[in-house]
Amino acid sequence: METCNKSEEKHESAAIVINDGWPGYSLDLFTYPQHYCDDLECVYIPHGVIQDRTERLARNIMDDIGDHHIVVLCVLKGGYKFCADLLDYIKVLSCTSNRSIPMRVDFIRLKSYRNDQSTEAMQIIGGEDLTILTGKNVLIVEAIVNTGKTMKTLLNHVEQFKPKMVKVASLLVKRAPSGGGYSPNYVGFEIPDCFVVGYALDYNEYFRDLNHICVISEKGKLKYRI
Amino acid sequence: MSSGLRIPDDEKGHDLNMFCIPKHYEDDLERVFIPHGLIMDRTERLARDIMQDMGGHHIVALCVLKGGYKFFADLLDYIKALNQNRDTSVPLTVDFIRLKSYHSEESTNKVAVIGAEELCSLSKKNVLIVEDIVETGRTMMTLLPLLEAHNPKMVKVVSLLVKRTPKSLGYKPDYIGFEIPDKFLVGYALDYNEYFRDLSHICVLNENARQKYKA
Repeated sequence: METCNKSEEKHESAAIVINDGWPGYSLDLFTYPQHYCDDLECVYIPHGVIQDRTERLARNIMDDIGDHHIVVLCVLKGGYKFCADLLDYIKVLSCTSNRSIPMRVDFIRLKSYRNDQSTEAMQIIGGEDLTILTGKNVLIVEAIVNTGKTMKTLLNHVEQFKPKMVKVASLLVKRAPSGGGYSPNYVGFEIPDCFVVGYALDYNEYFRDLNHICVISEKGKLKYRI
Repeated sequence: MSSGLRIPDDEKGHDLNMFCIPKHYEDDLERVFIPHGLIMDRTERLARDIMQDMGGHHIVALCVLKGGYKFFADLLDYIKALNQNRDTSVPLTVDFIRLKSYHSEESTNKVAVIGAEELCSLSKKNVLIVEDIVETGRTMMTLLPLLEAHNPKMVKVVSLLVKRTPKSLGYKPDYIGFEIPDKFLVGYALDYNEYFRDLSHICVLNENARQKYKA
C-alpha cells in the first residue's frame, strides 16, 4: 500500500491514497470469520490500519473543532463502527487534555443501495428533528463517500437547522469517474472504484461482522444477492 | 506455513502525518513503514496458526531478549485469548533468555544461554521461540541445537520480521510476520540504542537521526 498524499499544510482532505493496482493482502495472512471464507477476494485495508488512521483523524478533528460543543451525526448503519472508534479516540484526547468538550451523538439513516449499485431514491430516516444542531459544531460521520450525492443531500438538510459549523469525516472516499466532486473535510483512505465490505460496510446486510475492509468475491456477490 | 506478509523492496510506506507519532520523533523519521495496527492484525493470525500446530500440548514460550519484548507480549496476549476461548486449553508457561557470546580457546564463537530456568525443564514440551527479527539467522542457528539437546517434544520459531539480506545464512523461521527489505527500521520491537521503544509503528529512520542517536 503506498501513500502519495497531497502535501498540504492543513489537515483537511489529506488521505492515505490507495492506488488503482493495489491487490490487497492474501486472506491467509489475517484472521476473519470462517463463514466468509469463500466470499472474500482479499483483505483490502486491515482493521489495525483503520484504527491507526482513525486515531490520527481524531487528533486532526479535535485540533480544528474541539473548541466548542460538538454534535456528532452518525450515518447508520455503515458508519457506526467508524463512528464508535473515532469517538473513542476523541474521548481519549478529551480526557487527557486540559479542556474537555461536551459532545453528543445522534443518528440518521440513509438508504440508497441495492446489491452493489447506488439507486436514485434516497431517504433520510430519523433526522427530522435536528434542532439540536442549531449553533453547534456538527461533525457528520460517514463510512464511505462515493458519488457525493448522499452527502450533498444530507448537508442541504442539515444546513436548514443553522449549525455554527459543519464538518464531514468519512473513512473512505471513492475515486469514481462519476465523481460529484464532493470532498469531505477529513478522509481516512482514498480508494479505487471497487466494491468493499467489512468494518460495518455491508453487501445486502452481510459482512458487517467482518473486522477488516475486504473485497467481496464473485461467489460472495451471487450468494448474498437479493 | 506461510512465508509471511512480503513487503517489496520498493515499498515506500506512509507519510508521517497520516498517523500519530510522538512529537519528539517527528524530525527523526522518514516514513511509517508498518503501522502498529497492521502488526497487531498479523500477530493475531500468527497466534492462531501457532495454536493450530502446537496447541495440543504444554507450550513453553521462550522470549529472546536483546532488549525488546513487545512482540512477545502482544503475541502471547493473542495466544492467551485463544486459549481461554476454546473447549480445550493448554498450559502456557513463559521464560526469557539472553544470548551471550564469548570466545574460548577454539576459534569458533560460542554462545551461552543465560537467564532461563533449567533448560532441562524444556524436555517433552512444545517450545516456541519468539524473536523480533531474523537477519543473518546466526542467533537461531546457534540457539536451536542448544535447546534440542534437552529433548523438547517440538521446537518452533516465530519471528515478527525476517530481513531479505545478502548476509542471510539461509535460516527461515516456522512462523513469519513480515518479510522486509534491508532498510534501517525502528519502532515497535526495534530500538536504536534504547531509543524508539515508545514508538508504536515501525518506521524508517532518517540520516540525521542515525547520527543523533549514535551510541
